[in-house]
Amino acid sequence: MHYFTGIDIGSTAIKIAIISEETELIAQKVVPTGAKFNENAMNAYTTLVEESNLELSKSRYVISTGYGRRLYKSADQTVSEITANAIGAAVVSKGHSIRTIINIGGQDSKIIQINQQGFVQNFIMNDKCAAGTGRFLEMASRNLEVDIDQMGEWHRLSRDKDLTVNSTCAVFAESEIISLLAEGKKKEDIIAGIHISIAKRIARLAGRTTVQDDVLFDGGTAYNCGLIDALEEEFMRDFIIPESPQITTAIGAAHMALEIFLKSESYPSDSLQMHPEKHHHLKD
Amino acid sequence: MRKLKRYINNSNISRFRLIFQILAFLLLIYGGYVSIHIGTSIPTFACPYNQECPGTCYLISAQHQLHNTWASLFGFRGKAFLIGFLTFILFFLVINKAWCGYICPLGTIQDWITKVRNLAGVSFSRYDNLSFKRLKAIKYVILFLLIIIPLGMSNSLLGLPLFSEDLSAPFCQICPGRVVTPLFIGDTSQLFIDFTNTTTMIMSTLGIIVLALFFIGSFFKKRFFCFFCPMSALHSLFSPISPLRLNKKGDNCTRCGNCYRVCDVGIKAIADDIEHKYMVKDDCMMCFKCVEACPENDCLEVSFVKVPLFTSTEEGFFKRNLHLDNDMKNPSCTIIEDEPKRK
Amino acid sequence: MNQKENKRYERLSSSSKKQLVIESDQVLHELQTEFTDNLSGMDYFYGVAHQFARGQLSNQEKRKYIATSCVQVPIELIYAAGALPVRTCSGAHSMSMAGAEFLPARSCSLVNATFGAIHTNSLPVSSKPLAIINPTTCDQKKKLSEIPSGIDIPFYTLEVPPTKDSEEAREYWYRIVKKFTRDLEQITGKRIRKSNLKEAIFRVAKAQQAFRQLHQIRMGHHSIRGTDALLIANTFFYDDIDSWTHHLHSLNSELVQRLTGDLNRQNSSSPRILLTGSPSIFPNFKLPLMIEKMGGDIVVDEFCSSNRLLYDTVAVDEWNMYDMIPAIADRYLKACTCPCFTPNRDRDRKLLTYIKDFKVDGVVYQSFSGCQLYELESMRISKLLEQENIPMLYIETDYSPDDKGQLSTRIEAFIESLKAKKLHLIA
Repeated sequence: MHYFTGIDIGSTAIKIAIISEETELIAQKVVPTGAKFNENAMNAYTTLVEESNLELSKSRYVISTGYGRRLYKSADQTVSEITANAIGAAVVSKGHSIRTIINIGGQDSKIIQINQQGFVQNFIMNDKCAAGTGRFLEMASRNLEVDIDQMGEWHRLSRDKDLTVNSTCAVFAESEIISLLAEGKKKEDIIAGIHISIAKRIARLAGRTTVQDDVLFDGGTAYNCGLIDALEEEFMRDFIIPESPQITTAIGAAHMALEIFLKSESYPSDSLQMHPEKHHHLKD
Repeated sequence: MRKLKRYINNSNISRFRLIFQILAFLLLIYGGYVSIHIGTSIPTFACPYNQECPGTCYLISAQHQLHNTWASLFGFRGKAFLIGFLTFILFFLVINKAWCGYICPLGTIQDWITKVRNLAGVSFSRYDNLSFKRLKAIKYVILFLLIIIPLGMSNSLLGLPLFSEDLSAPFCQICPGRVVTPLFIGDTSQLFIDFTNTTTMIMSTLGIIVLALFFIGSFFKKRFFCFFCPMSALHSLFSPISPLRLNKKGDNCTRCGNCYRVCDVGIKAIADDIEHKYMVKDDCMMCFKCVEACPENDCLEVSFVKVPLFTSTEEGFFKRNLHLDNDMKNPSCTIIEDEPKRK
Repeated sequence: MNQKENKRYERLSSSSKKQLVIESDQVLHELQTEFTDNLSGMDYFYGVAHQFARGQLSNQEKRKYIATSCVQVPIELIYAAGALPVRTCSGAHSMSMAGAEFLPARSCSLVNATFGAIHTNSLPVSSKPLAIINPTTCDQKKKLSEIPSGIDIPFYTLEVPPTKDSEEAREYWYRIVKKFTRDLEQITGKRIRKSNLKEAIFRVAKAQQAFRQLHQIRMGHHSIRGTDALLIANTFFYDDIDSWTHHLHSLNSELVQRLTGDLNRQNSSSPRILLTGSPSIFPNFKLPLMIEKMGGDIVVDEFCSSNRLLYDTVAVDEWNMYDMIPAIADRYLKACTCPCFTPNRDRDRKLLTYIKDFKVDGVVYQSFSGCQLYELESMRISKLLEQENIPMLYIETDYSPDDKGQLSTRIEAFIESLKAKKLHLIA
């Protein structure tokens, strides 16, 4: 069976999604990025193909996205994670009309606005500072000696949501957390405070633009129910959380692979083709 | 057709106008010598005090016709007045304010004086906005007076006694045209002060003063007299319905102000107004220097009943103003599928 | 300066100059090799830029120079006074580093670079400029004249009014330009006469005509890359004006031939982009190059360093000094859409006109960090474009190459969304 692949190479993790010609999600995988992007991505891909009982030769089209997309040499095309995330959101949220995507990833956070026709209308990124990202949560979980997967449950135990973590910088926040612990504050309250601090930061990022329903929340941090609570509280609405929020972007990339492949069959010269090396003008 | 349009849009209207003005001047000053007669409702100065004038300007006819009792004005005299008035309007509407720019002999004389000043290297002056606003009402006041005074000579207005007969054709008594146009056939008889009585003394002195102002004013300010001209005031009432129009497409305007710079009569709206379409305002004499000075394609346009006659073009601007010919084929005409004309 | 300071200055100056050469060569290399559709007419302009970076001129004879720090300076007057205007606005990162020590932390890279270029003596001149004409346009530029540094070229403050609509502002500007004419005569020692001013106006007008022809050509199908067009305008001050005009005319002919030659042109799917905001000056082509590499086609810009440099015209009614000088003054003030003027509605209208004439698909609005003027106008322009349904990407950046990765993501996403819009509308 022929299949199409989206590989999202983030700064923390590599996410792979494989879909069939009928757009069914047949395989997915998440591995740490490590230092050697190209190698690790290639290995993860070939391993996934084997595990899913597929043949490498039946791969029709591969699109890489994310921070390290250009370093993955075997991709047929690269696409920005913003576009891929938008497509992915539409796919995984069937039935809902997504107008806003909030993505909190390992090292960046984004808010993507989509218009009625499904096109990316506007996007705001925070990629200069780790304060509203997964990195912040990682650092906090280390300092509090809590498993990162448990952060959500701890949040739900908190009875005092008024504790605030004030530091604007993730590095300074570390010291703040330690001093809060020393003061005898409860772990669950500190965790709740951290989640609220991230939520407030994201709200500030959204800033002047209006956030419209329906809002989809994805990225690796969307497994954290505590963070979801804090965000929904801050934005005063319920979010739509996909089943596997971490691979939404990869799913989007896989769907784009399918669409582009089909389109290039019917319209050979008119395509979204972007050759990474030579850039053609007047080529048509 | 495109070639013809391009040729016209690149042409030097000012040169054409100069020639036309000379011909019109010859006609209106010397036309009588060849027994031409073009009526008594001419919408520009054509002074019968100059015996060889081939007709008379409408103002003198109007002033004489209004010098009648209400009774006769609402009777058979009124019919003559109406016919004269309608003839005037029709003549006027055909070429709109271009009567002022291409035909009026007083205008032509002022343009010649301007050329002398230019050659002498003397700077010209302009009205500032405030003065312009305040003084532009004067011509309407003069128009009003030249209607009221003849009426008041035959009828009692508001219980006042009838005005003196010495005020007959009051505007003509102060009009510089009365003195200047006969000069061109060697007739200096109008250059006098009438000492008969107080009224005639005042009126004829005023006439001499206005004459002096005409020459001095038009030396330092382009088309000085036109700012105070009652004929212009009368024109402005009917100009909006004329088929010859000067239109502006505000969207294409960069507000560079070139049009205002070259405008002899200082119409600010041509440069600063980007909302309205019809640009014949105030004393515009439709000389079209503004269209010649506009460097944008399809911004200012002269049209007759919606048929464009002369449009501003970038190519025309460089050719006329800076004598720079477009060596290569105009790219906007041949390359782009759509015409350079914008919506 | 004492000996230690002197030494440090020498090191700074020479390393900045070296860096300028490296930066320029890198950009020129990209322009000439990264794309497949090079024009032979561009070779001249690449050559001028190459020499500019090395502080050389094609014509090395002794000339008088007047440096300018903004396009508001009336160059016709400088030519009439027998001097050559040379622009100090710099696009080099190394120069912005050199100037940064004199200016506040959050100041605009362009102003830093301008100051740096002057301070390190990196202008392409064969003799020291007689003066630096510094208009009071943006806040940071106007204070340059008061910064204590070792610069021994006198600054001349040219008073530009903060508004351009009122009669009072226009009268003020007439008086200033008249005064500038007299002062220029003193600075250069040459009288500005009717004949040489007329000649100067004609020389600049020839350049303007060629430039406007290029502008018209770009309204049609793609024929020249946006970065090449930017370079053409940027090299204007760095060679003899008549030579520049001549070569631009040749280039225009080449472009016209290109377009007429290929009658079966398909509509290119590259999104047509308009660039506006803080100007990209060679060698700071970071943003425009990235847009082109991501597949965007820059068809027009609203930068003072390129499109606005030569667009507005001088219209003289009577060819005497009393009319030529106000005509020149009008050219620089009335149609100017720089945000240093308030209100600046003409910019809104100009952008919309360009969008319509050039069939623009999307707008990229660049602001240098610290450039308050462009930052302050971005919201109004953004709302305007939203109403007209034109997508806009707002980029805040500076001269440093550090944010290339972040920029590429944003630009790529923007171009992708434009392409998707375009394709969906066609297919």
